[in-house]
Parts: sequence; C-alpha cells; structure tokens
Amino acid sequence: MKKYYPPIRTLHLYIGLFVSPFVLIFSISVLVLNHTDFVNSINPVKHLPVVKTRLDKIPYDSTDLQTAKGIIQKLGIKGEIDFISQNDDHISFPVTLPGIRTKIEVDKHTNDVLITREEEGALRATNYLHKMPGPHNTKLRGNAAFMKNWRVLADMVVYLLLFLSASGIFLWYFLKAERKLGWLAIVFGATIFTGLLLFILG
Amino acid sequence: MNYKTLIKKFTYSNRRLHIHVGLFMVLFIWLFSFSGLLLNHGEWKFASFWDERKEKTTETAVSIPAGLDSLDKLKSILSQLKISGEVNNVKMTSDSADFSVSYPGHVSNIHADFKKGIGIQKELSYNIWGKLRTLHTFNGANRDHPDVEPNWLLTRVWRFSMDAVALGLIFLSFSSWIMWYKIRHNYSWGYLALIAGFVLAAYFVFLLRS
Repeated sequence: MKKYYPPIRTLHLYIGLFVSPFVLIFSISVLVLNHTDFVNSINPVKHLPVVKTRLDKIPYDSTDLQTAKGIIQKLGIKGEIDFISQNDDHISFPVTLPGIRTKIEVDKHTNDVLITREEEGALRATNYLHKMPGPHNTKLRGNAAFMKNWRVLADMVVYLLLFLSASGIFLWYFLKAERKLGWLAIVFGATIFTGLLLFILG
Repeated sequence: MNYKTLIKKFTYSNRRLHIHVGLFMVLFIWLFSFSGLLLNHGEWKFASFWDERKEKTTETAVSIPAGLDSLDKLKSILSQLKISGEVNNVKMTSDSADFSVSYPGHVSNIHADFKKGIGIQKELSYNIWGKLRTLHTFNGANRDHPDVEPNWLLTRVWRFSMDAVALGLIFLSFSSWIMWYKIRHNYSWGYLALIAGFVLAAYFVFLLRS
C-alpha cells in the first residue's frame, strides 16, 4: 500500500489546489444562505432602472422555453431562464446570471416588454451557483451554456472532494506521528455527527 | 523566538490542523457531498423519495385556554399534538390556526379549529433519500422574511453545524495553499492547478455578468 503514497499525495495536492476556489464558492455560499439578513444589511440588492421596450413581434416557437429564448435573444439578454409563467395576456420569466437577475414581462397583445433588473453582487452569485442546477424545474434547467458547464463542474467538484477526503484518510494513515490524534479526531467527529443526526431525525 | 522559528512553528501547526480538521469533518463532508449530488440528480431512480412518501392524517382533540397570545396558542397545540420541529407558514385567525412543522424527512401540515376543539394533522414522511436531501437544505431560512431566525433549537444547532463545516472547508482551502507554498519548488504544477481553479471560479462568480 505504501507504494501508492507518493502518487496519491501528488494527486491530493494538485486536485486540492484546483478544487479549492470552488470549495470557497460552496462554503461562502453556505454562510450567505444561512445569514441572508446579515448579507442584506452589508450588501443590499441594487434595483436597476426599469426598462420598457417593444418587440416587433413575439417569436412564438414550438415550446414556451423556445419562445422565451427567442425573446431574450431579441432583447440581447443572456442568462438561464429559471421558470416561465404564461396566461392569455402575458408571458413572464426570470433570466439569471450569477449575481444579476432580470425579470421579463411581455404583453402578448401589444408586444410591450417590461424589464426589471436586480444586481445581487458576488456573494449572492455564490448562493445562486450553490443551488444550481438543483432539484427544481429540471426540464428547463441548463438552457444557458454557462449552466450546462456549471452542472458538469459542480458534479466534478463534489466527486473530487470525495476523492480528496478519501485520499486524505489514506495519507494520514501512513503518518505514524499523527495516528493517535487522527483517530481521536475521527471518533470525535463521528460521535458529534451521529448524535446530531439521531437528535434531528428523531 | 526569531522569525524563521515562528514560520516553522506556524507551518507545522497548520499542517497538523489541516489533517485533524479534515478527519474531524469527514462524515459531514461525505453527507453534504452525497446529498448535494442527490439534489442535482433527481433522475437517479435508486434515490427516488417523493413517490415513496408516506402520508397520514390524524385528528386529535385540542383545547386552547382563553387569553393566550398567538405564540402560546401554537406552543399549546404543538404540545397537545406531541410534535416538535421548525414551525412555518403560520396563518392564524381568532377561530383557527394553520401552520406546518418540519424536520428533515418529515412535514406536518396542521389545522387547528379552536371552536370545534380539533387538530387535524396531515403528515408526510420521506425515506432515507428524502431525509438526506432535506438535511442538505434544512437551515430554517425564510425566503420571504430573511430576518426571521429558526424557531426550533435543533434547526439552530444544525445550521450552526453547516456554518462550522463551511468555515472548516474554508480553513482547509487556505491551509492547503500554505502547505503547498512551502514545497512549491517540488510541485511547480501547483501554480497551474491553483490559477486554473481561480480563473474558472472567477469566471462564474464575477465575469459572467460583466
């Protein structure tokens, strides 16, 4: 087993360095998600001026998503369409890029368009990325190129994090000087983890 | 103590902390990693939870003493129904109360009719996959009222654990840079790995919207 120590150490080091900025994104976003009120007080969302415009015609297509994509293409707006609401009079949908949220409302009768934008900043951008692609609107999700890439990256980060934790245990096991304290850390962590789950899940 | 000794002591302690904080957090990291994958992969059939949910409706007699304020009324109902959890979506009138009580893997929607003296509880219970998914997101945050703090002690404890794991991961990232920096001459590809990671991360957080 010891012969695997040098290559695993090298992989642990390089993968860890590559993944660390993404780990920061996910970790910072946890703090943002858990302390929204504090984040709102130090970094409020900026509401940008409302834009009113008119389309020459609504580019109706085979699906609501294609229609919404056609509309944002005409308006020159980029981002992930989160969901689409539609009735006889209006079609509306939010379009998001990490840190900026745009809401588009189109009057189907007049082709008038109302565009409202919110600049959410970098902290909320991490928050958005953390939640994406997520469990909701799975049929729509990944309609922007960046979201397709982020989906792959988010998965990759998790698999690499699992590798880092497993390889970390492997590397620690060969450090005789740290073995005793390491076992204590594992047992202490496992006790707290199990205790918490037992309490919370009843 | 001279500067070199101080640096040596710092890097030595940093390495030890990196190892032991990582070992301490390993089960938490696995839980949040795996549950994150479950949330992003609803198509995984083995982890289906919604179709396997169990539903139960029970009716229990409740009596609400006159003169209680809203909070005490809720507490009284919870104690009479013998349930605990994070209370949400409270709608209360002089004659009735509607609210939900949840903990990971379990949601109860409650309607209490003060005049008739009954509490109707509709329970939803999830399997282990549903529990794992809800553990990942169980922070008591209220999207419409971000200033409202969690009202169940265990929600606060779990949210504190989430914060601790996040801070622990931030520490592991920083400490890994320090550890690599010390041996950077032997691992010069580290520059590329770190810069590539930062450029990609910055693209998503900062550059996409610019």
